[in-house]
Amino acid sequence: MITAQHLSKKFGGISALDDVSTTIESGEFVFLTGPSGSGKTTLMRLIMRELKPDAGKLILTGPAKIHEYRRTIGMVFQDFKLLADRNVWENVALPLEIAGIKPADVETAVKKALELVDLTARADLFPAQLSGGELQRVAIARAVVTRPKLILADEPTGNLDPKTARSILKLLSTIHSQLQTTVIMATHNAGLVDHSDKRVISLQAGRIVKDTPKGKYEE
Amino acid sequence: MKNNPLSVAVHRIRRAPYQTLAAVAIMTMTLFIASIFFLVAAGSQAVLKYFETRPQVNAFFKQEIVPTPQAVDLIKAQLDSTGLIQSFKYVSKEDALQIYRDLNKSDPLLLEAVTASMLPASIEVSTKNPKDLTIIADQLKTQPGIEDVRFARDIVDTLAKWTGSVRVIGFSLVGANVFITFTIILLIIGIKVANRRDEISLYQLLGATGGYISAPFVWEGILYGLTGGLIAWTASFLILLYSMGFLVSFLAGIPLLPPPLWFMFSLLGGELLLGSLIGGFGGLLAVQRFLKA
Repeated sequence: MITAQHLSKKFGGISALDDVSTTIESGEFVFLTGPSGSGKTTLMRLIMRELKPDAGKLILTGPAKIHEYRRTIGMVFQDFKLLADRNVWENVALPLEIAGIKPADVETAVKKALELVDLTARADLFPAQLSGGELQRVAIARAVVTRPKLILADEPTGNLDPKTARSILKLLSTIHSQLQTTVIMATHNAGLVDHSDKRVISLQAGRIVKDTPKGKYEE
Repeated sequence: MKNNPLSVAVHRIRRAPYQTLAAVAIMTMTLFIASIFFLVAAGSQAVLKYFETRPQVNAFFKQEIVPTPQAVDLIKAQLDSTGLIQSFKYVSKEDALQIYRDLNKSDPLLLEAVTASMLPASIEVSTKNPKDLTIIADQLKTQPGIEDVRFARDIVDTLAKWTGSVRVIGFSLVGANVFITFTIILLIIGIKVANRRDEISLYQLLGATGGYISAPFVWEGILYGLTGGLIAWTASFLILLYSMGFLVSFLAGIPLLPPPLWFMFSLLGGELLLGSLIGGFGGLLAVQRFLKA
């Protein structure tokens, strides 16, 4: 569970988040929407403990040490952030290597994650040899390989065509329902949000302007 | 899998051959200078020690005199009675000829020209305390048949000054080079860290510890140090072997060369350690600066 109480964050005097209060329950799928600069990424960075709030309180469950806490979270980025000199298998295995998991367990977990995103046949290819949709699926496999309790997806469909974007959302929804993972997805894609029937938190100028259980995209 | 920091470091080194060349070259140069100064300092220290432990007063009889055993015993008894001497040695004309032969065994012409009768008998005396040399020398001068008395103290004093200077110059030069090398390694690995900024940020987001991120860069620095140390040691050893003939004749009579193997391997160990420390700390500092930023 994530609880934000009167959360505020400023960058050089400019308010990125202003008095934000909300609760996200375990197992929820939540869209964060709003225009650029509305505070979506700032909220995610606070949840990742990349930033500290200037005011208010953010209550997060998980280990106290930052590196241990981050191992309990899966991250998906708009620009994929895959390592160009590692193949698909090695990119997916990276969080497990970092966590010091035994090679035999890494083997099993990576295999399952690649099956989940339907990329087993592409395991030996390098990022430069993949399409945009495939790259994002690799990034999702990397995010779920540790079986995290929370997935933060920051504009994961931003660089993809509408059809591929829908397939990525479908994949995230499958992971959410199959693994009971909490998913927080920041997006600009109105079509995806409107067809999903999921909770939508709309941000504007750092403030929550709307929070509806089965919401629609609003600018 | 690429989770072994050493294999990651090797991989990164192979990917940047010119940076590696620069790092190894500067490391080799510094460690080579360090090993040459170390060899010179250790050699001059050994020469100094040799002279310090040699009989410090040599008293030569007149060339035409062949002292009787009784005369030598009398001189010894008189010196013993002072309680100042550590050792007393009588060198007969025949002993002197043998020493001469040993020193010039490679030159038969010199050996043929000299006979025992041409060389003076002598007495070699060392004292327990160098400051008592003058007392013993004065006493020897009064003995019948003694023509000349020589001190080793002047040689030792001069040598000590030279050894001191070699140490000061060596430490300063090596210290300055170590600093320059450390800075260059810091710069080279710093460039690599900056080139991998995005990768490092990703590692941090995925929960990597500072140690996990730093280890390959530290290993990279250590590998530069080990390679540089090995090359520098090999070069200095080869130069030493090449100069052996000249040095042995230059240091005639001083049993300094060839250096024992344990000494050369200790030098190798020292160079590898110094190189590893410079490289390892350089790598660590480069990545820590980035992580803190």
